[in-house]
Amino acid sequence: MVATIANAVAAYANAGRIGSAGSAAGGTDFADLVKQAAGDAVGALKTGEAESLQAVTTGKADLTAVTEAVNNAEIALQGVIAVRDKVISAYQDISKMPI
Amino acid sequence: MDLQTSLQLSFAGMSAQGTRLRVIAENLANADSTAQTPGGEPYQRQVITFKSVLDRSIGATSVKVARIAPGGGTFQRKYDPGNPGADAEGYVLMPNVNPLMELMDMREAQRSYQANLDTITAAKSMISRTIDLLRS
Repeated sequence: MVATIANAVAAYANAGRIGSAGSAAGGTDFADLVKQAAGDAVGALKTGEAESLQAVTTGKADLTAVTEAVNNAEIALQGVIAVRDKVISAYQDISKMPI
Repeated sequence: MDLQTSLQLSFAGMSAQGTRLRVIAENLANADSTAQTPGGEPYQRQVITFKSVLDRSIGATSVKVARIAPGGGTFQRKYDPGNPGADAEGYVLMPNVNPLMELMDMREAQRSYQANLDTITAAKSMISRTIDLLRS
């Protein structure tokens, strides 16, 4: 089951192009996946933040550019959070499984 | 992802329409800007044109401002001998800005901007609802 979810996460990462670094050739590790997805989301958030900061401090940033960056960050974060929740709930399901 | 591409395209459209409105504002603000020297040229109305450009990073055709160039039309002559820009006969050349045309153009820019905004709202809600599928 974990493998299936890992595949799903990998497929999502490829489709959403959130996994820019790409996974290692020797198969994907769950921790790596989460780390990578979170890292990419943080990157998107940082872009959004930098644009907003520029807008606030200099007042010269393009309003459309700021909205676009913040929007992208929001979507990336939403996706990563949804995947994380799903994977964690699967993990908990397994850990609660009676042996 | 196509939905994210459509977001980028719509943002490019909004940006272009924003520039269009800026040019219109420029024209309207300078509707009475006459020449400073006798017999000189008054403000000439500017016209914006757009072009489609292939954005290879997203693999789609985006929009860009092609150029902002002086528009055609003849200057009206107005009798105003007291004006510093008046020629020997007392006539001043007025800018070739037609406020009615500019207002029409402004409406068009407004509508186009709104259309792009609506596209963004639609694409965003589609993305959000797809992500919601993961949650349930």
